[in-house]
Amino acid sequence: MRGAQPRSNLFKRGIATAPTGPRNDLVKDRLPVPELCEQETQLITTVVGNYPKIPDMPAPGKWRSAVEKFQKGQLTEAELRQVEDEVTLEAIQDQVDAGVDLITDGQIRWEDGQTHFARRLRGLSINGLQRYFDTNIYFREPVAEGEIAWVEPISVRDFEFARRHSPRPVKPVVTGPFTLARLGRNAYYQSGREFVLALARALNAELRALQEAGAEIIQVDEPALCRYKQEYPLFAEAMTVLVDGVNTKKVLCTYFGDVDGMYPQLLQLPFEVIGLDFVAGYRNWDVIARAPFTKTLMCGILDARNTRLETVDEIGRAIRRITDVVPPDRVMVAPSAGLEFLPHGVAKRKLQRLVEGTRAASQALKGVQA
Amino acid sequence: MSLPLLPTTAVGSYPKPAYLLEARRKFLRKHLSKEELTELERRATREWIQIQEDAGMDLLVDGEQYRGDMVAYFADEMEGFAIAGLVRSYGNRYYPKPVVVGPVGRRHPVTVEWFRYAQSLTSKPVKGMLTGPYTIAEWSFNEHYPTRRELVLELARAIHQEVVDLQRAGARYIQIDEPAIHTRPEEDFDLAVEAMEIVTDGVGAYTVSHICYGDVPKIYPAMLKLAVNQLDLALKNEEFALLETFKKSPFTKDIGLGVVDAHSHRVESVEEVANGIRRTLGVIPAKQIFISPDCGLKTRTAEETVGKLRNMVEATKLVRKELTETRNRGIAETRTAPR
Ligand SMILES: [Zn+2]
Repeated sequence: MRGAQPRSNLFKRGIATAPTGPRNDLVKDRLPVPELCEQETQLITTVVGNYPKIPDMPAPGKWRSAVEKFQKGQLTEAELRQVEDEVTLEAIQDQVDAGVDLITDGQIRWEDGQTHFARRLRGLSINGLQRYFDTNIYFREPVAEGEIAWVEPISVRDFEFARRHSPRPVKPVVTGPFTLARLGRNAYYQSGREFVLALARALNAELRALQEAGAEIIQVDEPALCRYKQEYPLFAEAMTVLVDGVNTKKVLCTYFGDVDGMYPQLLQLPFEVIGLDFVAGYRNWDVIARAPFTKTLMCGILDARNTRLETVDEIGRAIRRITDVVPPDRVMVAPSAGLEFLPHGVAKRKLQRLVEGTRAASQALKGVQA
Repeated sequence: MSLPLLPTTAVGSYPKPAYLLEARRKFLRKHLSKEELTELERRATREWIQIQEDAGMDLLVDGEQYRGDMVAYFADEMEGFAIAGLVRSYGNRYYPKPVVVGPVGRRHPVTVEWFRYAQSLTSKPVKGMLTGPYTIAEWSFNEHYPTRRELVLELARAIHQEVVDLQRAGARYIQIDEPAIHTRPEEDFDLAVEAMEIVTDGVGAYTVSHICYGDVPKIYPAMLKLAVNQLDLALKNEEFALLETFKKSPFTKDIGLGVVDAHSHRVESVEEVANGIRRTLGVIPAKQIFISPDCGLKTRTAEETVGKLRNMVEATKLVRKELTETRNRGIAETRTAPR
């Protein structure tokens, strides 16, 4: 009986009925409740992170207009932040309306995954635009020019804001030290290893700050791992430094590739949940069959980078393939990457389909078990 | 008419004047007819041709005043595409991303009329300008083709027809932009090479491919396999660091040498640009070099663009003069040298 096993996934209970508004303690109280048997096969849905900031054409969207006005000096920074808050609430609402169980704040305030953190750490400057992996979007390259140090919380305010306004549990996301280093440049440290470890120490303080603020689960994004597999030993070392003293549930999220060659070693990392991309990283289908998946799997099975909507049937087949290898109570279903690669309307439909497909698959699993 | 040593040229786009930006906005709101918009696009094209002539450039471009985005423009004009919506590229910059919804192909020539028009304005040669099949595929969503390969090769056949039509219309220089070509070098580079072979198959015109923003060393020297005469590359934005790559394995094609940064506001001085060219001459022979900005200049202001083009031409003239003097001195020394 799976009911007797320790559940690594504590997010399913009571989520749908949670009240809105301030609910710090409610979440804390709710999370450790014992599992109920009939909900065993209720698969959890979640997202990787970012979400479109503007509505579909032809509306320019208030965020885009606000940024333009801010750049022309017609809007104060406080007014721009206000608009970002409003757009964040809309991103939260889209996820809640779709029925996603574990949401993010949509990363509306992130310029890009690198700059958002690098700008607020000491020792890093921000350089020119670089292409973000194999996408057609860009980020600014962080450059280490001095001793890297954490100065103040970077994402805590945003996490608290989202949690205050979300009826669903909110998962803060931090770009990992390995990806920050790999997409950055080291002009200070003696070695690349020192650069990565310095970032890991700095971000450890950020994770601790999120823990302090009451986060029950924290996601660390490390897409660069799929591109620089040969550096896995350094990656593992950095992860140990990163999560030192952090006792929340932790998600290690990879995307844009597979983890072939690093599995099952990956399962020894100090994370309860591992996120894998089954679209760009289609090899992951074979990879996870090679050894028992002993953690919770956040499986990215809806293509976050193509507009084609997966059918409920396709999602069901993919989930069945996953649950053949990983017990359903240790599966979270997600898109393959952040949804900001898509126009707003499509992103919203992907969320709806994610939930629709996952619920249908849960029903089917229940049928099998009954 | 032949080109001088170190011909000066450009990558493609120039900034749109304020009146054209305003007209495009009005057109979107249906406050302006297609004809009125086209007339203003022609006016802007005339102005840019004039600016390039005044600057003393040798091989001109039409400035792409009639295009919004380099992929969406082709998608709009071709069969099989729709526009999926706006996707953010950086900051608050968004682009309309196309989606392939059916078999792709040409309805009619896409760029030939604009080429004819631009060429009619000048006695200098004007380049025909196309976006390559790999980049169109890579920068579109795909809801129709089961594999990227099928889509890329079908697009290659369509772009090939466009190349043939441009050539028939008198284009002697045709550029096929592939800024996305190094997206998945391990998986896809052979596909990009195969596609370019289809695009330029049997073409007599001089062909160029512009490649930018990405890890060029990763696809070098494999990129020399691309079936074009010239590769146009951004050297300046990394301060000519690519020369180290070219030292390891000789650059066997012509190079379009990016000597001014397309993404900085600063106008490089004549001496700074000349130095970049001089450094390159130590690695690639002068007869293989075309002089160009790093990339399209559409994100610069008109003043920055004109400044960069002018200094690029002046620097090139300076280096040409030095090369001629060195050669003359060399000849003189040979003549007087004791046998
Ligand atoms: Zn370019």
